[in-house]
Amino acid sequence: MSSLSLSEKEAIILENDSDPRRILNMLIAIQYASEEGFIDEETAKLVADRLHLSEARVYEILSFYAILKTEPQAKYVLKICNSTPCLFTGGEMLSEVLEMILEVPADQPTPDGLFMYHSIPCIGACDQGPVIKIKDTVFGELTEAKVYQLIDDLKCGCYQEL
Amino acid sequence: MIERNKPVLLARINKMKQVTDVEEYQKYNGFSGLLEAIKMEKERILDELDLAHLRGRGGAAFPLGKKWRHLYGAKGDTKYIVCNADEGEPGTFKDKALLEQDPLSVIEGMVIAGYLFSAKAGYIYIRGEYRRIQKIFQEALDNAEKAGFLGENIVGIQGFNYTITIISGAGAYVCGENSALLNSIEGKTGRPRVKPPHLADVGLYLQPTLVNNVESFASIPVILREGGQAYRDLGTEDGGGTKLICLSGHVKNRGLYEVNLGTPLQEILYSEEYGGGTATGRPLKFIHFGGQSGPIGAVENLDDCIYSYEGLWDNDLSIGSGAIVVMDDQVSIVDYLVNVAAFFAHESCGKCTPCRLGTTRILELLTKFNTQTAVSGDLERLRKMLTHVTNLSACGLGQSVANPMRSGLTYFPKEFEAGIREAVAPIKGGFW
Repeated sequence: MSSLSLSEKEAIILENDSDPRRILNMLIAIQYASEEGFIDEETAKLVADRLHLSEARVYEILSFYAILKTEPQAKYVLKICNSTPCLFTGGEMLSEVLEMILEVPADQPTPDGLFMYHSIPCIGACDQGPVIKIKDTVFGELTEAKVYQLIDDLKCGCYQEL
Repeated sequence: MIERNKPVLLARINKMKQVTDVEEYQKYNGFSGLLEAIKMEKERILDELDLAHLRGRGGAAFPLGKKWRHLYGAKGDTKYIVCNADEGEPGTFKDKALLEQDPLSVIEGMVIAGYLFSAKAGYIYIRGEYRRIQKIFQEALDNAEKAGFLGENIVGIQGFNYTITIISGAGAYVCGENSALLNSIEGKTGRPRVKPPHLADVGLYLQPTLVNNVESFASIPVILREGGQAYRDLGTEDGGGTKLICLSGHVKNRGLYEVNLGTPLQEILYSEEYGGGTATGRPLKFIHFGGQSGPIGAVENLDDCIYSYEGLWDNDLSIGSGAIVVMDDQVSIVDYLVNVAAFFAHESCGKCTPCRLGTTRILELLTKFNTQTAVSGDLERLRKMLTHVTNLSACGLGQSVANPMRSGLTYFPKEFEAGIREAVAPIKGGFW
């Protein structure tokens, strides 16, 4: 399912010296590089095999840590910070506006597979709240108008690197 | 020389063009703390740390000198150094600044620890959300190794071999708890261990281990460079040095600042140099200190409060991580606490029942108050639940959940009472 080839995945594992202590580094790197933004069963088995861990251990890790996903994600996953500093400086507006624009509830991809949004706890950008994070990029001090523009820009492909 | 009211930890930030460049770092006093340290007897290093009276900057405020002395005396040839950079405490973004803009200062602190404890391996656990910063930090590690400050025979001392490895987190608040963090480094799920034993005796791979916060490690070179006394003089009796504070919420100038411990809180809130007063035009109502598990203070009670460890303790508050989340009078305390409780219900790791169920029960009760559907007796139930979760939870996460709720009940009792639905009254009179 994932767009990474076997050798690309193996390269990421080797970059981390096949060191089981760095399993999170590897899984995140593989997930971020994959098209659909999740760790599929095949990849999990590969990691288990190369690190000499049981598949159950790898699955336990995938299900425990919030960043790691076991289901396909939309192309752009908009993560809304819902911790109190952001929430009370306009954060509540974000999910309402996104629901209005995208016409899907939280955690559900749009029919074209392009967008998805959900809330996450603090990302450490409290002085720029309210914020949306897409992969490693943070969009801060958002207003309703800016959210509309962000969605438009994403649709136009203005953020190729995301 | 370090002076009051001048940046100490942030001194190099925005001056260096290449933050990972060792030469440039050395231009601004970089690595001179390490070079001082290796000239000293090891006992003397510990004495300087005691004198400095640095309290752990992660939030627990435990005297760092004591922690280091404990590890120094711990039995075992293999000792590990771990830096907790899993900054996930809502309202906190100070470690991010150091990791991103002065990574070598954190590395220097960790190398000094490596020297003192003759450790071979150090780990820095950086949260998954800071993936970009992990790359910067790796570059700083590589440069430090090239310059001879990491790797083999560091600074020319035969046998001083020490490496630092970055371990990524992956989005679990509980991994900020030290023992959970060690489990996560071992490649397990990050659930806390039962303590005792203390991590200084039985830590990573069951060996004696030092775990300190990013800001604490960055302070170590300053102490050894300038001397413990000079560092202590920057702060107050009960805690030396400067503190990085993170202002957020309804103040005008949100952001990261460095203040001397002992600065008046009013100055931090209202002076243009720091918070600059309200951003919304409404009066400021309450402040949540030190992160989600920290206590809350009512602004009107804090006119004379000094921002220092003892100054906040006197007001039943604490510094915690250095987060200062300020809310104006349009925010209902109950509504605010519902969101705090939701955070804990989400982040409880589920290992121990009091925390797993207790955080959910607290959220349910607070939601009842928030929707005016609480009934008489709910206040008592909430208080009891807070006590249970505090006393019975296995780790610091559960044990501190109740702090903000207790403050809310103390300073804003009327807002809770307003959430209680009146009892249905029988109709008086008439012939039934």
